[in-house]
Amino acid sequence: MSIALQLLLMPLAAFLVGLAMVLMMRKVRASVERRIGPPWYQPLFDIYKLFAKDTQISHGVMHDVAIMMVLGGIICVVLFLPVPGMSGLSAKGDLITLLYLMMVPSLGMALGVGQTANPNGSIGIARALTAMAGYEIPFFICVAGAALHYGTTDLNQILTIQQHGGHLEHWGIVQMPLLAVAALFAVHAMLGKEPFEIYVAPAEIATGPMVEMSGKYLGTLFVMQCFQLFTVSVLYTTLFLGGGFSWFTLLLKAFAVVFISVLVTNVYPRYRTDDVLRWQWKWPTGIALLGLGMVMLQIGR
Amino acid sequence: MNAFDLLLYLALATLLPSLLAPKGRSGGMLTTLAYLLQVWLLFSLLPSVSQGGSVAACLEFAAFGHTIGWQLNGFGWFFALITAVSALIASAYATGGWERQCDHASRLHSLMALNVLAMYLLLGAADLISLFIGWELVSWAGFLLMAAPGGQSVQAALRYLIYALAGALALLTAIVLIEQSSGTIQLDALRGALASLPDGLSWVVLALVFVGFGVKLAMPPFHLWQAPAYGYADGPAAAFLGAISSRMGLFGLCLVLVQMVGLERLVGLALPFSFFDAQSLLAWAAAITLIVPTYIALTQNDARLLLAWHGIGQGGFMLLGLMLGNDLGTAGGLLHVLNHASYQAPLFLAVTAVVYRTGTADLDRLGGLIARMPWAYVTLLLGIIGLAGLPPMNGFVSKWLIYKGLLDAQMPLLFVAAVIGTLGTILSVYKLIHNIFLGQLRAEHREVTDAPWGMTGPMLLIAGFAFISGMLPGLGLYLVEPAAAALGLPMPSFDLSAIHAPNGALDMLVVVSALIGAIGFGALLFLNAGRSYRTQPLDNYAGGHFLTAQTRYQYSHHFYAGLLRVIGPWMRPWLVALEQGSGHFLDLASAASRGLYYHNGLRFLVFGTVVGLLWLLIVV
Amino acid sequence: MPDYPIYRDPPEQCRTPDAEERSLWGRTLERIADHCRARSLFVLHYCTGCGAIELPPSMTSRFDLERVGMQPMVTPRQADLLLITGYLSVKTLKRVILTYEQMQGPKYVMGFGSCTINGGMYWNSYATVKRLDQYLPVDMYIAGCMPRPEAIQQAFLQLMEKIDSGRAQNWKEYYRRYDHYLGEQQALFGEQFHTPTDVIGEARHYSLFGPETLGEHTAKLAKYDLYHPGQGAVDALEVKR
Repeated sequence: MSIALQLLLMPLAAFLVGLAMVLMMRKVRASVERRIGPPWYQPLFDIYKLFAKDTQISHGVMHDVAIMMVLGGIICVVLFLPVPGMSGLSAKGDLITLLYLMMVPSLGMALGVGQTANPNGSIGIARALTAMAGYEIPFFICVAGAALHYGTTDLNQILTIQQHGGHLEHWGIVQMPLLAVAALFAVHAMLGKEPFEIYVAPAEIATGPMVEMSGKYLGTLFVMQCFQLFTVSVLYTTLFLGGGFSWFTLLLKAFAVVFISVLVTNVYPRYRTDDVLRWQWKWPTGIALLGLGMVMLQIGR
Repeated sequence: MNAFDLLLYLALATLLPSLLAPKGRSGGMLTTLAYLLQVWLLFSLLPSVSQGGSVAACLEFAAFGHTIGWQLNGFGWFFALITAVSALIASAYATGGWERQCDHASRLHSLMALNVLAMYLLLGAADLISLFIGWELVSWAGFLLMAAPGGQSVQAALRYLIYALAGALALLTAIVLIEQSSGTIQLDALRGALASLPDGLSWVVLALVFVGFGVKLAMPPFHLWQAPAYGYADGPAAAFLGAISSRMGLFGLCLVLVQMVGLERLVGLALPFSFFDAQSLLAWAAAITLIVPTYIALTQNDARLLLAWHGIGQGGFMLLGLMLGNDLGTAGGLLHVLNHASYQAPLFLAVTAVVYRTGTADLDRLGGLIARMPWAYVTLLLGIIGLAGLPPMNGFVSKWLIYKGLLDAQMPLLFVAAVIGTLGTILSVYKLIHNIFLGQLRAEHREVTDAPWGMTGPMLLIAGFAFISGMLPGLGLYLVEPAAAALGLPMPSFDLSAIHAPNGALDMLVVVSALIGAIGFGALLFLNAGRSYRTQPLDNYAGGHFLTAQTRYQYSHHFYAGLLRVIGPWMRPWLVALEQGSGHFLDLASAASRGLYYHNGLRFLVFGTVVGLLWLLIVV
Repeated sequence: MPDYPIYRDPPEQCRTPDAEERSLWGRTLERIADHCRARSLFVLHYCTGCGAIELPPSMTSRFDLERVGMQPMVTPRQADLLLITGYLSVKTLKRVILTYEQMQGPKYVMGFGSCTINGGMYWNSYATVKRLDQYLPVDMYIAGCMPRPEAIQQAFLQLMEKIDSGRAQNWKEYYRRYDHYLGEQQALFGEQFHTPTDVIGEARHYSLFGPETLGEHTAKLAKYDLYHPGQGAVDALEVKR
């Protein structure tokens, strides 16, 4: 497939899958609460409605540019994430590049929220960055362990190593079970779900970063959520679940990752900011460090 | 007379204009022009210093049976180039308008020129004595530049001087030890010469060198002096000092550790009863330098101090990369010196522009300036993206090289330490840009405008370079190559835009183009999706509350309350207490001895003799 | 009873539709948008009165409003539908007006219970607002004291049908007849009443200007210079409230 076509199809596929994931999240939440939940087209309708608002408020140039950065940054991330049949630009930037590119939309959002000049938003961003300091440390320990285990940071090579022979035994989760568990905790916090949902906290800080977002501004954040669900779950699948031979297996695994997260979410209230840090720095970090030790023993150093 | 001689003479001549024409702007303009010439001269030196070559100066003299001379090689050239460009930008900025608010502009210019000259003398040292001469000159010139504004900066500069003197004594001892054990002081002859020293002596030399040069790098536990000394200096001077000055310590440390001792020997030097060898110990010292000052920066309320603390932390990054000894780590460590200078200078200059217009750098007394000072905002934004090490800026490239180098060297814990430092940087730089430029505009800053173009131009120029060299990292790596060659360290294969590695490559041109293309697509979607109305900041959700200019509708103080509740207990300033305590103890001891002396001279004499004899007894 | 000029129906206006509205593409997009709007109402509850208690059963598993795409939102910027659940005092009405102006169009207002229609059991109170639609354009009232969840849902479905067919355009009246609404607000709160939202500027920006957007009441706003953000706006807001 030509690279130009891939660059078009990869974000499109990511968006559609992300929409389905959002739908699944809402459906699962409804089931847990013994409701019926929204119809299948609901995520799409929400986004279309938001983009079709007649009036919307901008708080300045940076507020506008931030929305472009959010959308552009998150699309750019997807281009570096190989999926079955399409490797996109993943040969030109490795795992570390991908992880740092994932921070660009967050940075854009942080700047835009800053310009909306609402302290609820600023508190939200302060909390989001604090939560990031919480979950990125265990996640990067897992990434370091995985990179050492595979001996590479090239995502295509990581996939090839795991899919070698077509059996389970090369999967990251079999080879590095502790790291996979720790990374799952970190991924859960990365998706910003309860009990780590400190930066949205509608009842406390009025949805934090989203407080001044209307119309297409909010719509872009909805789109970002779709992409984020896709990126994070597919990245986890790539690192620990052997990626996918086909779209079917990939989506099965990616949906499973999100599903676990969503199931956990619905039975928890929200932690306090410092408790998020303490929890993330105690359990996932501890497990990840043990896992890292195991990887170091395996590679013989 | 070769180009290096010319450079030294020119650096000397750069002192003159501001001394001869202390009033008006002509002195500053001539100084800036002289720096431009210096940069040109340095570029003309490039062919002769690349491929491990060097250029000797005609300046030399004989002392103690040794020839003391100066000779510039690729490693020194790399640092000299950054020095000249930093001075050029800082001087252009000062001349472009900043000095209108300054009553000692000519002193600032001449002191900066003195610093540049001293740094050339250090970077071009051909032997240990000229190295020490350069080192002392750098310390003294740095002290004068730091103390130039007076007031609290003098206190900070004096504190630096005490640390620097301690460091210089350690360095002098190390030089004597090296000379005694190897019989030569010529740096070329000393290449790898220290590898054969016995373990005990090696540790002593390493410790002395670490103290000597580590003080300048402000590596913990010697980190307390740097932030106030740099932060409270004049704005352009702070940019110059922050960009390059403390890198002199890195230069010296690499000279001894990499060139004289050699990294293989460091790996072989095992610390008894532990898993550490000298190399990993130094790498961990670098990691601590990276983490501790970064999280101290997070708690700062003064924008200049915040940046200065980050400068220390980034120094740890460079040393970390250089201690790895593999190709990616070397390239990353050296490239980070250049990249750090190229974003730290605009950061300091942008903050100085804010101080120039508002009169304060207090992060609790600013806010919303983006609407009033957009160009300062753009500069600061480019700078913080570089400092945080995110794409598309050049800071990302050098950090990527270091991360990759750490993973290639199979040091995952150091990798995690580097990530922890980066996370702290991201948190703290967001606080910086948020508290100055975002949020509600304060009523007293309603009439503020951007700094004059003479100031905005230079800072935008250097921030633009930070972006371009992020897109085309080959530009920087091309300059790094002679330095790595002079040190005898390997370099990865690279071209203008990409760094090649068999297990994960990076092509920044593709990354940046993809990012810009995707953002362009986002812009297309955004601009076609219905119009928006730009409202004023007080039209804002406040739970139904009517906002007025009296409402302090801003969240800036104690920005990361949740985080500090967790890490706060680890950040008690016990080292500050120790420093103050030892200061007070010395005060007390000197007062006591003085009292004894004046009170009863004979008893003092007896006491002194007894102590002296005891000391001799123990030593002999 | 005070002698308020009572607003009944918006006058029929003949407006020439612009080119975009006439084009088939534009009309198709607008039709889809209307359908989406009807099926994706983000709700802001203004829970001043007892009516709020009827919302949890409507939202939760008994009736589950998410089935028709309704979600609670917490700030006016994000919301489409403002629910005024019960009586309004003079003090809370100020906040309701501010909240309404901070919502982004198309936006809809629904009055819960008889209190919003005629003051209900608070008819004799000096501090209670009798008729909500004097101050804001209201799209739908639900009678009752209190309306049951079934009635609430009936109203939601009717509102959705109205939105879907493109008839829920009351929010534009606020821009077109801003002078009228501001006059009512000033009659109640005093002549110095104004909000930080630039309604006139927005009307001009989005071509929602009508013959009654400006008038004798909006002329009183001139002294606050609210509509030139950055110049006098901040000073204007320094008025003690």
